[in-house]
Amino acid sequence: MVRLTWLQFRLQSAVAVAALAIVAIALAVTGPHLAHLYHTTVANCAAQNDCDSATNVFMLNDPFLQNMLGPLILLVPAVIGIFWGAPLVAREIETGTYRLAWTQGVSRRRWLLVKLGIMGLASMVVAGLFSLMITWWSIPFDKINQDRFTPVTFSLRGIAPIGYAAFAFALGVTIGLLVHRILPAMALTLVIFIAIRVVVMLWVRPYFVAPLHTTQPDTQILPPSQGTSKSIQVGTNAALPGDWVIADQTLNAAGQVIGRNGFVGSDGRLGVGPNGVVIGDLSCPNLKPQGTPSATGNGPSPDAQALVKQCVTQLGLKEELTYQPASRYWTFQWYEMGLYLALSAALSGFSFWWVRSRLV
Amino acid sequence: MVRLTWLQFRLSAAVAVLALALVGILVALTGPHLAHVYDTVVAPCLAQGGDCKPTVSSFLGTDSLLQSVLTVALLAAPALLGIFWGAPLLAREIERSTFRLAWTQSVSRSRWLAIKLSFIGLASMIVAGVLSLMVTWWFRPIDRVNANRFVPGIFDERGVVALGYAVFAFMLGVTAGLLIVRIVPAMVTTLVLFVGSRLVVTSWIRPHFLSPVKQTLPFVWGPGAGIAQGSSGGGAFVIPPTPNLPNAWVYSNLIIDQAGHAPSSQFLQSTCPALTGGLDNASSNIGTGISKPSPSGGPTAQQVHSCVASIATNYHQVVTYQPASRYWLFQWYETAIFVGLALILAGICFWWVRRRLT
Repeated sequence: MVRLTWLQFRLQSAVAVAALAIVAIALAVTGPHLAHLYHTTVANCAAQNDCDSATNVFMLNDPFLQNMLGPLILLVPAVIGIFWGAPLVAREIETGTYRLAWTQGVSRRRWLLVKLGIMGLASMVVAGLFSLMITWWSIPFDKINQDRFTPVTFSLRGIAPIGYAAFAFALGVTIGLLVHRILPAMALTLVIFIAIRVVVMLWVRPYFVAPLHTTQPDTQILPPSQGTSKSIQVGTNAALPGDWVIADQTLNAAGQVIGRNGFVGSDGRLGVGPNGVVIGDLSCPNLKPQGTPSATGNGPSPDAQALVKQCVTQLGLKEELTYQPASRYWTFQWYEMGLYLALSAALSGFSFWWVRSRLV
Repeated sequence: MVRLTWLQFRLSAAVAVLALALVGILVALTGPHLAHVYDTVVAPCLAQGGDCKPTVSSFLGTDSLLQSVLTVALLAAPALLGIFWGAPLLAREIERSTFRLAWTQSVSRSRWLAIKLSFIGLASMIVAGVLSLMVTWWFRPIDRVNANRFVPGIFDERGVVALGYAVFAFMLGVTAGLLIVRIVPAMVTTLVLFVGSRLVVTSWIRPHFLSPVKQTLPFVWGPGAGIAQGSSGGGAFVIPPTPNLPNAWVYSNLIIDQAGHAPSSQFLQSTCPALTGGLDNASSNIGTGISKPSPSGGPTAQQVHSCVASIATNYHQVVTYQPASRYWLFQWYETAIFVGLALILAGICFWWVRRRLT
């Protein structure tokens, strides 16, 4: 049975090995150079006061690989589910070959167990290797961007893709078992896999561990430009780089939410004029600018900035952040992988039950 | 025959319509708000010419999830059409030999193929076209801020090129199915070849549609300019100012002399000791007048000016680019290439079905 599974599987595994080899070569050729460049330019730029240009120059390296690796690792689990999972049982049922297999002194359970075991494990190994290579290659970029905890990047690094691959594979097998026809099974696998990934990303992952909240007086007002209208940027100054900010709300003195992501009011307007300071739907009529506004075109007059700051204090605006600290990154990776492995186990259990009791 | 094709196709068509409707709802719900924020907050800020960095970055972060979803959807749509519509179209009939029945029904082979290809090929183009239209419309405010719609990666995701990609992917799938006969290997082959062709055209063919414009400018200290320390062996080098070419596709932006050589590290160290010593990059904002105080006594404006002047005597800035005005020309070229490839594949299919398929 193991031998039969291998014979049926060798073409797929050859394709996977070839893909892994191509990516490995591309990353092995470019990766060490990137790491070296990072250590010699960006890593010590802080000692030289200004990291802007060192970072900008560094980010220009290998734009092609930078753009391609994300979609690649995003795609790998889905492709495994569609091309390995869905046809595995659907093809046998569609063509009726499973009946032959069951007459060969192999129990139904063992038949499914060997198929699921070997190819499920192979799926995880393939996704794990891709993720390992890509995570390693992206280390310098992730250090610069500090975004590996943000929803999309999180799912492209570390051990999460192993869980996705196992789940996509089990999903494909289960749907193939239920639908019997290859093409609809493949399409359904893709749709359901994407739907579950999005649902988990948006509505489940943020609550693996209860997020932290901080509420702070809104002291940091990023410079509004000169003129009458400008959005208020309250910034995410309470969160550290690398944290995952789930929500960023601006509260008024009564604790009601009056803005999100730094924008205040319905259109994010900020005005400084003869009527005082206007912030969204609120205002400080007592704070009027002295003299004429400067017209240098180099941003706001310090005057206006101070007035806005004063007004924010006077109104008692606060910023409330809901976030997951960067230190929880690996906890979340394990939870995410564990969740998807548990889903895969549940799907496999269902498949076993179906093969034994329902499939005739 | 048209009726048969429709009967075989209606489930696929329903799925596509459903997917388009879903994207349409998302786009219609969020698009107007995005445009409103751009008009009321971002555009006034940019028009005033102040420091808009926080506004812009906050604006670009709006609906970041939907931005990714739409980008991925449009990137994947042609491939999915090729895999799920193209590859099984003939492979399924041949694998199960149902084409033999079809050919006994007083429909010529060519007509049988022509109706299948034109009907579903057209449907592929419509699906991709409608999706691209929605995505292009939704991204308009963001594209105005970024001014990067000519750049590879964005260029592929806007305008009419999706039509070409879709019909090419579809025909690739049909041809792979016809030649390979087995559905799943045909689907995989379609995916691999489609991604391969897109990469080849993007990386090696599109840059040569028209020869780029080469503009030589005197070296001045503008926004983005700087002098930086390269990797350990590289020494110092000049970062040219960012060319003010919104929506252009900049191939290269270099500081070189008549012979095409960049200033050497020794030259920079001897002409600009203040900039290449201790501080690796001068305040790049001097050109915009917002020079920031440097804590360790960085170069003064005077030192920067004399440095720039001595570099500028021998070196100038050379920008190689495709001007923004060529955007639609490139869009049509790219579309034409993929439609042309699709027609060639269709020719192969007709030849194969009439001469080889038995």
